[in-house]
Amino acid sequence: MPRYGIAIDSTKCVGCHSCRVACQNQNSLESNETFNWIKHRDRGRYPSYYKEFIPLQCNHCENAPCQRVCPTGATYTSKEGVVLVNPKTCVGCKYCMEACPYKMRIIDHRRGIVEKCRLCIELVRDGGTPACVTTCPTQVRIFGDLDDPKSAVSIFIAKTGAQPLRPDLGTIPKIFYKRS
Amino acid sequence: MNRSGISRRKFIIGSAVGGASLVASNYLNFDSWANSKSDSNDLKITPTLCDGCGNWCAINVYTRGDRIWKAEGIPIAGNNHGRICAKGHALLHEVYNKDRIKSPLKRTGPNKFQPISWEQVYREIGEKVHEIIGKDGPQSLFLLQYPEGNASLCSRFMNALGSPNVFSHASTCFLPRNIGWWITTGSAKPEHDLEHTRFAVFLGRNIAAGLRLRQLSDLSKAKDRGARFVAIDPRFSELASYTHQWVQIRPGTDLALMLALGNTLIEENLYQRDYIDKYTEGFDELAQKFKDYTPDWAEQKTGVPKAVIRKLAHDLAEYAPQSFVHRGYHGALGTQYKNSFQLVRAVACVNGLLGNFNQRGGMFDPPKVKLGKLDSQKFPKLPEMDGVMVDGSGDVDRYPITPVGLGLTHSIPELAIAGKLKAGFVYHNNPLRTCPNPARVIEGYRKLDLLVSFDYVLSETASLAHYILPESYYLERDDVVHTNHCYDSHQVAIRQAVIKPLYDTKPMVLILIELAKSLGIGDYFNFTLDEYNRAALAPLGVTLERLKREGVIDLGGKWEPGPPHFKTPSGKLEFVSSTLKDLNLPSAPELEDPLVTPDESDIRSFRLIHGKQAHHTHAKTINQEYLKEISVLNDMTRVWIHPDRAKALGIEDGDCMTISNNVGKGRARALLTQGIHRDCIFLPSSYGVYSKKLHTAFGYGISYNDFLPTYFEPVLGHCMSNEIIVRVEKTPA
Repeated sequence: MPRYGIAIDSTKCVGCHSCRVACQNQNSLESNETFNWIKHRDRGRYPSYYKEFIPLQCNHCENAPCQRVCPTGATYTSKEGVVLVNPKTCVGCKYCMEACPYKMRIIDHRRGIVEKCRLCIELVRDGGTPACVTTCPTQVRIFGDLDDPKSAVSIFIAKTGAQPLRPDLGTIPKIFYKRS
Repeated sequence: MNRSGISRRKFIIGSAVGGASLVASNYLNFDSWANSKSDSNDLKITPTLCDGCGNWCAINVYTRGDRIWKAEGIPIAGNNHGRICAKGHALLHEVYNKDRIKSPLKRTGPNKFQPISWEQVYREIGEKVHEIIGKDGPQSLFLLQYPEGNASLCSRFMNALGSPNVFSHASTCFLPRNIGWWITTGSAKPEHDLEHTRFAVFLGRNIAAGLRLRQLSDLSKAKDRGARFVAIDPRFSELASYTHQWVQIRPGTDLALMLALGNTLIEENLYQRDYIDKYTEGFDELAQKFKDYTPDWAEQKTGVPKAVIRKLAHDLAEYAPQSFVHRGYHGALGTQYKNSFQLVRAVACVNGLLGNFNQRGGMFDPPKVKLGKLDSQKFPKLPEMDGVMVDGSGDVDRYPITPVGLGLTHSIPELAIAGKLKAGFVYHNNPLRTCPNPARVIEGYRKLDLLVSFDYVLSETASLAHYILPESYYLERDDVVHTNHCYDSHQVAIRQAVIKPLYDTKPMVLILIELAKSLGIGDYFNFTLDEYNRAALAPLGVTLERLKREGVIDLGGKWEPGPPHFKTPSGKLEFVSSTLKDLNLPSAPELEDPLVTPDESDIRSFRLIHGKQAHHTHAKTINQEYLKEISVLNDMTRVWIHPDRAKALGIEDGDCMTISNNVGKGRARALLTQGIHRDCIFLPSSYGVYSKKLHTAFGYGISYNDFLPTYFEPVLGHCMSNEIIVRVEKTPA
């Protein structure tokens, strides 16, 4: 069974937000609901000034704090390692939102539940790639099986030494960043 | 609306009945989508072309039943290589926008319209046009369009009426860029072999916001291969985040930098001598002209250290011919400065010195597909239309090298005020928002005896029109076949209806055909769109049916490097242009200062510069709520200002600033950033919609056009949109 993850080369991100809207359409979200964000950071003074764009989404942690605190077991990890929410058992208590150190979960007001990035699992199971990966004009995201050393994502991580965000938290994320 | 208690089944039925219902009712949650896969036989994929900007990316649109769901890029399309930007995704929702016009309208008063039947509206326009032609002649008619897709038929329409006055947005966008390259190399819009380049300089060009998806995709591949890029810009553009180096330059001085690059290449013997001997004209004269433009001199002008200029020249030369200076778009090489034309010439000449034309990793004239024409036996041929345009385009004594058919869009209000234009048709364009000095533009357009708009919403311009003949949205209509996807191959593509029109709207081509009858030029429009398209496709050996099935067809004949051919009078790349010499214009590039400069003694005086954001096209997409949300979330209407300059004015990050000059006044919040030159402030060009009928966009942000005087550059007539000096103050609490 594969263990899916994404490597993000933030040095290639130009902040165009194509990933955001591709995701919204794929998942039929409204304009103010999103599963991914682009933050930017200003650094330094001219001539060494630069601005970094950082695409953010659920890290699909192996040791997911959101899953641990869920009182109904609605948050679960699929067999492919994707952290999902079962809308039938979620009661909308928002414990998971508090527990997530990356703040990557949102409220679905229409159904009164909490939602999050699904790594487009329905596309992936059909052999596709997540919408945010396919649409990116600069190919910032590389998707694949982290357990397969020959997959593009594994090779990229091995070559660049890409790191997850805040590895010190012990959450063991499956999204890796190359930031310089 | 409270949805709890409604079963999914009822919910879906409900949304199907509500045909034109809004996005919310389309909501399909995760489990419902997974469940619905078993009955996904109502899922349909239709290839078509996006209408988010001028790129017309090829997309596959997914529909569920009669409802649009999502889109994916078509991988073979030369322009987008299977990618789509935020606009491309979000505009799918726009078809369901509440602000859409639902039937032909007749204006009855300020912002007051009443529905009118198609027959009636054609008849009334026909009568009015006949009256105007009888009184003032056909030269008093004009058509303003965005010159793509149906442009050939729009020109046919105007020429059949006897008017040469077909305008485009060129004079506010790209005019000098096209003319400069055409004069120098014979190719108005050369492309780049970005994928194989090793070193590229982007001068005031931001392909990461004035988006070119193919170029970004190629750039990414080149980066993986170790290519290096430099962005030269007064501000830290989105592209600068991507390139390896950002060189900050004083706005309006790009020409001095380019001249110094040319000087260094020549003086230090860094140019491609063999190539220049074989393929160029006027090298000695150019060398003479560039003699005094040293890096030391340019440092004074541009603020770029001379060591950096020398390094740039050396890097360009080291990798030549696999290096280039980008051909530009609207930025410094577009219509922004008085010296833009000289700048384009200088950029083309520097590329000439690198010998990169038609070389691997350099630049090339993109392949062009030659479409067929209507059979002149069956369909009457138009009488030859010659003569200059009413604005002086093509007139030897006024704007001799500004092409007829592009024209000066911002001259229309002046000509209307002068009484030279009486009636106009505006298609896929919104001059009231995109032309300088809106008050003057409104005054001009108000003077017209007849203004007809084909808009799908009540934009600023449509709000002033006497009649609106609403075009179906791009997802609801077929258009003329299109060859914009060529890039480095021969490709033909088509836009076709994905869903049936939701309202009483029609495709533009059908409107033209029907309108032509009531204008007495029906004989020239005795065909259907399909007949026209079949004639266009005939020489390509492609059937219309196949094209509609596949969306884009690659016809082969990919560009390959080889000896260059220049379509100039001398057949060579013209460092010295005989055309310009004949017109008594500088035949080799030379220094020209910007028209205006900020007052150094006044701490409140700034140049106002502008640029695009990747998720917006001009001010046309801000009425789309998915795109506006991105702007709101990231607070993107703010005006960039250097922290030191802001401090002197007592302005802190997020403070409200009052920006004013003798043309206009506006307020915007400040974004303090090191990423901008001290001499200028930067205003994103995506905002400032003032039509009250665009409910999402209205009143959000301001536009640079509100501060831009109506200028006409002396040689080409473009609008010089960065020649704006404003006064910036902290808005009193």
